[in-house]
Formats: sequence, C-alpha cells, structure tokens
Amino acid sequence: MRRNLSRRQFIGRGAAFAGAVALGPTILAACGGDDDDDAAGGSGGGGGNSLHVDSWPLYLDEESAALFEEQTGISLTYTTVVNDNNEYFATIQPSLSSGDKVDADIFVLTGWMAKRLIDLGWVDELPIADVPNAKNLVDSLVNPAWDPTGKFSLPWQSGLTGIAYNRAAAGRELMSVEDLFDPEFRGKIGFLLEMNDSLGLVLRADGVDPENVTFEQAGPAFDRVEAAVADGQIRQFTGNDYQDDLIAGNFVACVSWSGDVGQLALDEPDLAFVIPDEGGMIWSDTMLMPKGTENIEAVAEWMNFCYDPVNAARIAAYVGFLSPVQGVQEELRKSEDTAALADSEVMFPPPTADVLAFNPNLDEEERALFDDRWAEITTG
Amino acid sequence: MAKETDDRTQRRGGWVPYGLLSPGVVWLALFFLVPLLTLVRVSLSTQESRFEQKFSFTWEFKNYSDVLSEFGDIFLRSFGYAGIATVLCIAIGYPMAYFIAFRGGRYRNLLLGLVVVPFFTSYLVRTIAWVSIMGDEGPFLDLIRALALDGALDGIGITDNGRLLATEWAVIGGLTYNFLPFMVLPIYVSLEKIDVALVEAAKDLYSGAARSFRKVTLPMSLPGVFAGTLLTFIPASGDFINAEFLGGPKNTMIGNVVQQQFLVQNRYTSAAAISLILMVIITAGVLVYAKVLGTEDLT
Repeated sequence: MRRNLSRRQFIGRGAAFAGAVALGPTILAACGGDDDDDAAGGSGGGGGNSLHVDSWPLYLDEESAALFEEQTGISLTYTTVVNDNNEYFATIQPSLSSGDKVDADIFVLTGWMAKRLIDLGWVDELPIADVPNAKNLVDSLVNPAWDPTGKFSLPWQSGLTGIAYNRAAAGRELMSVEDLFDPEFRGKIGFLLEMNDSLGLVLRADGVDPENVTFEQAGPAFDRVEAAVADGQIRQFTGNDYQDDLIAGNFVACVSWSGDVGQLALDEPDLAFVIPDEGGMIWSDTMLMPKGTENIEAVAEWMNFCYDPVNAARIAAYVGFLSPVQGVQEELRKSEDTAALADSEVMFPPPTADVLAFNPNLDEEERALFDDRWAEITTG
Repeated sequence: MAKETDDRTQRRGGWVPYGLLSPGVVWLALFFLVPLLTLVRVSLSTQESRFEQKFSFTWEFKNYSDVLSEFGDIFLRSFGYAGIATVLCIAIGYPMAYFIAFRGGRYRNLLLGLVVVPFFTSYLVRTIAWVSIMGDEGPFLDLIRALALDGALDGIGITDNGRLLATEWAVIGGLTYNFLPFMVLPIYVSLEKIDVALVEAAKDLYSGAARSFRKVTLPMSLPGVFAGTLLTFIPASGDFINAEFLGGPKNTMIGNVVQQQFLVQNRYTSAAAISLILMVIITAGVLVYAKVLGTEDLT
C-alpha cells in the first residue's frame, strides 16, 4: 500500500519542484532534510531576523515568499516537509516531548493535530497582539473547536473533502458516496489515508453526524470500509498521490481534497470534484508555534503578512483552497486573471454547502481507538 | 595453511589480528550491538504514552504475543511473498548465470554488466517505474489486451479484474525484479569456478547432459544458490518499498507495519518487538537452511 506521500504533494506536472527551484537555493536546501534545514536556517539563526516555516507542498506561491523577504528583510526558510500529520508529529515528538526546541518557528498542521499539540503543551501562545491583520480572520474560524481560546493557532487554509472522478471513465456523473461502493468500479476506487476525510464521507453516507461521532457510532462505517478493502472494491489508500492514479486511469473515482482537482482539471477536463449528495467534509490546517520559539517577532511579521487580504488573495489563487482571511474574494475579483476564482464554489462554498468537520472534541483515548482501527483496515 | 598463518602471526606479534579486527569490531559494537540491545530493551518495555518516548523496562513479553496475534498473518504473507520471489529468482537467475558462465564467451563481461546496469538507478526509481509500466492504462496491460491475454491472466489469478497493480503478483514481481541480480551474481561466481574438465569427465563416464548437470554442475554451484538465496530472501522479507508502491491494502508486508508502527503510530514497543521477531525467524530459518544445504563450501 502506498502510504503518506500525502496531501498536496506530487500535484503532478512537477510544479512543486519547479516552484522549489524558482524559490531559490534557500528552499531547495530546506527541502533536502534535517541537515540541510540547519544549514539554510543558519544564515540568520537566532538573530530574530530569520524565520523557519514547515508546511505542506504547494501551499505557498514563490512570489509571496519573495515579497515577504523583501518587505520585512527577514530571511525565510520555507520547507514543505509536512506530508502527513502523523508522520510530521513523529519527527517533532522526540524533541518536544523532552523539552527541546525544534528547527521550525511555525508549523502548519491540521486542526485535530493542533488540538493534540495544544493539549500536550508543546506549542506556545501566538503573539496575536502584534498581528493586527489577525482581525481579518473569518468569523467561522474564530475560537475554533481545536483551540477554543484562539491563542495558540491561526488558520492557514481550509479545504473540503469530496469525490474526485474521471467523467469519461465513469461513464456518468457521480453524485453520491454510494458510487464509491458501486461494484461496477471494483478495484478502481481510491480512499485517502487521512481518516477524518475518508471515514467522514462514509459516516455522512450512513447518516451519522461526523461532528459528534463516537467510536461506537463509527463502527458500521469502519466495517463498511473494511469490507470494501476485503472484496477489492477499494484499490488503494493514498495521500496526495491519488492525483497520479486519477490521471493514469488507475482510479475512476476517489476521496479527494477540493483545491487539487481544480488545478488538475486544467489539464484533464474529464476530471471533476463534487461534494456528494450526502454531504462532504471540511477541515482546516493551522499555523502553530512550537514551544521555545525565539523568533517571535518574525513569526508575528509572517502572520501579519499572510493575513493581509492582498497577500492572502495571491496565496489563495495559487493553492485553490478556502482562505481563512476576509476580503480575499473581493481582492480576487479586482484582477481579470483571478476574477473567475472569486466565483468558484470550491474556494468560496455557498453558506448552504453541506459540509461538516470531523469530531474535533475527541479526547486522545478515543482518538487512539479510531487510529488503531483505521490502521488495522488500511494495513490489511 | 592454518598453521602457516599462525606462525606468521606469532612472528609479528599477537596483537596484529586484533588490530586488524578492531575497526570492524568497534563499528559493529557501536552501530549494531548497541542499537540491537536498545531494541531488545524497548521491545520489553511499556510506553506510558504514545506521545512520549519514555519507556519503563518491565519485561513486557506481552508486546511479543500482542504483535504476533495482531500481525501474524502479515508475517506469513511477507515470508510467502519473499519465498516465492526467491524461487522465481532462482528459476530465472540460474539459467541466466549458467548461460553467461558457460555460453557467454567473449560477451561474458558485457552480459554481467547488463545484469548490474539497473543498479545504476535507485531502487525507489526502479520500483516507481513499474507503477507506470504496469498501470491499468500502461504499456504492459495494453500489450496484454492487444494479445487478448487479459482473460487468461485474470483466469489464472495473475491479474485481478484486469489490473496488475495493487495485487500480490505485482508485489512479488517487483521483489523478483529488484533482487534478481543478487541471485545471478553469486550463482555466476560459483558456476564460473567450476572446472569444465570435471563436466567433460562426467560425460566421458557416460553421463548424459542432464545427469552430469545434476551430479556435477549443480552440486558445485549450490554454494552460489545458497548465498543468492540469503541475499534475496532476507532483504525481501523485510522489504516495504514494493508493497508500498505496487501493492494494495491487502498486500502489506511486515516492513510496512514496522514503518507504520515506528513512524506513524508512535508505538515503539510494538515496532521493536516486530523487528526482533522478524530477525529471530530469519536467523532460525537461515540456520536450518544452512544445516540442510551445508555451508562448508560457502566462501
């Protein structure tokens, strides 16, 4: 099984690599691994005039990165080492659990993981007072469930989970989660390894509310996925590499994230993304500051920069997910190039869109039950 | 020979062999023995929280029984895949090595070079290349469909519903492909050492081609087969790359589980126990295998 080459990585077309090259030697070095990170970060290390951000692939355009450095004089080390919440957690855990610092000044992780880190006390309070633009945070994400005080996290982007499919290969429009279980597509269906997304959709199909789901209530949905693995309906659990399988024709349909398919559809018009009739899922990735971060001023500068609607609009236009910053839609409308994006229902879902978050209030004990059961299913 | 060596050693002083050995011993002690002992310790500990690497050593043998009951079938599957891949490697590699050694003539080195050429690219790249080649719309299955063999392959269970990727044969095929040179090279070395005069002598004594192969060539090449089997079976059992890229959720191997337990689930004690069980089973297997096949000639 192909694990964890996950979200937003390999968006096909080598764009990530091209982006990394364009961003210059700093980011290239940063992509290389821990040692290289040190080398790159060392240029301004400790002086308060450098910033190290760990994030997901294809989550920041090169222009914004360059502009930030130019405007603030802060040397930015932006890496795309986060491929999977759990995997990234495993890399920072040894340091943070023993009270040591990590290289990153900011890392971007999904809400449920943010909750874990906040509960463990491994992140510091953000310098929100020094981030005047934080007022632009959309209302729906003020004091989110994973961070009820709003002191520890500031959202980076949100996204929707639905179904991506190849119209030509499917031979019809797919509208329902049930289509993923249609025997006609046996062996041609992909699920995301990220449990919240895949299980979430199945819960919705089963009429279970994912926002309040307990382990017991999720039982039938787990069983359903397990059976679909056993009879060969589900071919693969993937990270972001589901895109390769969609393009290569290995998948007819799969559970997918909203921003990616929009980019892929530019080259492959047969690809479509839908929020299924039963409803979809919504999630947020959020910026966190690990315990012991010293470059606090640079952290504030960065957050302020990213929460400026003009900058946020540029970033949103590149990544194609849901921006957490107010005013982005208006900014996108101002330019001919991006006006179409302002009307995108994937980037700006109407208030009626039926999307729910995966239970953000699971305590770690119950979360472990979910994780173990999911691991059992995905590793056969 | 042994006596001669002893004499020389004594003349130069008894410390020389130890001196020569010490870099290797220090290296192994630091980077094999110490980590191994740590692994044993962790495997018998309890981990208080999966978010912290704090282990208390409690002789927790339950870790072993837990992972055996939880992942026993995956152990069996891994050894099954590795075993089939090894047999396939012998079936493909032996004739190849035989041909190169006895019929290669002046092209011998070129042919050997061709066996090694795939090693110039990375293991990962070679495996990922298979993903494209074997894809549902890829060249291999296109060819199969053009030859109208897809029904037959489905019938004998090589493909599943017309697909090759995410099946057990894709994983076994990947393992076979990736480890084939490890089988060919040692067999070649042992075949190449055979004095052709011995085979001729067998024929002079009225052995047919098959009998002289069975009585002379094969026994003399067994050390190569033995070495090749070890070099193939051991890494193949612990492999996770092929299952990761070519297999589906039903084809997970034990290497994937170790990776998952260590790096995703943070269950260090389970991961350590699985690793040690794998190590013990392989060691025991190798000892039995050595006993059966004999290792005196293994050089």
